[in-house]
Amino acid sequence: MTDRPELSVEAATACVVTDLGRTSGPARGLAVNGALDQFAARAANALVGNAPTAPLIEATGFGVTLRPSHDILLAVTGAPAEPAVDGLPHPAWSPLSVRAGETVRVGISDAGLRAYVAVHGSFDVPMLMGSCAPDSMIEFGTPVTAGMSLTLHRSHPPLVNRRFGATVFDFGIPRDIGRVPAVLDVIEGPDAAEFGTGLQRLFDSPYTVTPRINHVGLRVAGHVPQRTVTGEVLSRGVPVGAVEAPAGDELLVLMRGRGITAGYPVLAVLTSRALDVAAQLRPGQEIRFRRTSATAATAAYLERRRLLDRVALRARTAFAALS
Amino acid sequence: MPALRRHEPSAMTVMRTTAKIDISPCGDAALRVTVDGDDTDVVWAAVHRLAGWLNRGDIHPTVSAVPTYDAVLVEFDPYHTTGDAIMSYIRSWDAAPDVASAVPSGVIDVPVLFGGDAGPDLEWVAGVVGASVAEVVRLVCAKEHLIRCLGGPAASAMTDGPEFGVPVPRLATPRLRVPPGAISVAGRQAVIGPVAAPSGWRQIGRTPLTILRTDGSGHTGSDSVVPYRPGDRVRFFPVDEGTYAALLGVPMRYRNHD
Repeated sequence: MTDRPELSVEAATACVVTDLGRTSGPARGLAVNGALDQFAARAANALVGNAPTAPLIEATGFGVTLRPSHDILLAVTGAPAEPAVDGLPHPAWSPLSVRAGETVRVGISDAGLRAYVAVHGSFDVPMLMGSCAPDSMIEFGTPVTAGMSLTLHRSHPPLVNRRFGATVFDFGIPRDIGRVPAVLDVIEGPDAAEFGTGLQRLFDSPYTVTPRINHVGLRVAGHVPQRTVTGEVLSRGVPVGAVEAPAGDELLVLMRGRGITAGYPVLAVLTSRALDVAAQLRPGQEIRFRRTSATAATAAYLERRRLLDRVALRARTAFAALS
Repeated sequence: MPALRRHEPSAMTVMRTTAKIDISPCGDAALRVTVDGDDTDVVWAAVHRLAGWLNRGDIHPTVSAVPTYDAVLVEFDPYHTTGDAIMSYIRSWDAAPDVASAVPSGVIDVPVLFGGDAGPDLEWVAGVVGASVAEVVRLVCAKEHLIRCLGGPAASAMTDGPEFGVPVPRLATPRLRVPPGAISVAGRQAVIGPVAAPSGWRQIGRTPLTILRTDGSGHTGSDSVVPYRPGDRVRFFPVDEGTYAALLGVPMRYRNHD
């Protein structure tokens, strides 16, 4: 008999179990999907000693309240959100021991949109093509709703004597890691030339995030550059982060749930780092697009991934020493 | 158990390639590879062989190639490889087809209820084509439609269109929802949609067959959610409402399945 721990969901809205995405999907016609803030998702798993691809909880816009049946180790990352255990606040972006029966409340502040909750040992959830990532088009996935329980692969003995209120781990994550800038770095897209000199307006004008934001796309209102050439575009694969200019006064930024083909020209593409930023934008927020190069974008991305490598290594070392 | 499929020679195996390849960056984690050439079949065959080659995982398992008509979108994780490395790799690709790259091709018979609620745009399309509704249905069913690529949403089968002689304009305002199994046309293409989704294409009919399977029971194995691949061919045939109802929910599969 195995006594598998469970995580009861006391309250949840717009909350799912996800992972880094269905990387084998695009070649088979499916969107990659997965955590929109990939850095925060990777960080949450690293902080609890999980594999980067382990399933975790993504909470969008609203909080989530959880209660474990056993002692567990979790980490909250993403939107500035302070987890509270039985009402007592604890730092985010850090491993957090929760005892059996305690209540963890993860709220989301106005400074971001999505929080991630990784639990050591991760969740036992259905997989499709190697990923648990929800795909709304094919109605696959594990929504997290009030009253349900998520089965955990294993429990974790308490790491911290919380009576002393001390954080015992410092894995080198900067304090301002959850801050969301109001600038989205983009690289000129393969069809940028079709917009002529009008493309510059993309970088000169502010844009307002509309309420129409989801896993498929982020719509921003403002000046929309117009194509200077006409003619239909043959359906082609479009990357996550593609900035498209359909008719109307809104730009469409494609997110990880986008259909993999489209017939619109791509005027710019968000950098990998900017995609994590876009995942945290809230309706009404004003943003700007900033032109960058692929070289600079890759350097910024690698710096963040190497930070995660260090965090993961320190976490694994610390937990190994304690067990 | 996935059923056995008949391996018939596809157009992909017999093409010679004189195509020119152009590669442009698409952000920091993707490249767009376009193949230029006069013969669209040669271009398409080259695009799909290139994607198959890239998806073997030789550069890195995270590299993913999405082939369409004249382009391959190559996505990668800049942590594991670089756009420059992939560009060099692609430039080393031997564009000439070889025997090992032969792509198996199956035929799928697709019953379709044309017109009415199942095909609200059928009469409109007949008007554009300048033919009777019966003639439009005959044209749609007259040939095998080659599946050129899988597109959004949800691995839709994008095929060459019927021989209408004229391109079919899209809807000015897309419908918010077309049902699963919708058969639609636009431009010189046709599409079979596995799921309910918004669409600006002209819906002429609907198949009762179940296309999408997320339980790993698809013919092409657990690595796919639909029973077809690019290179397969589709043969539509008309059914009446009674047959449609009788076939509702039958899984879509290859003609020569066992």
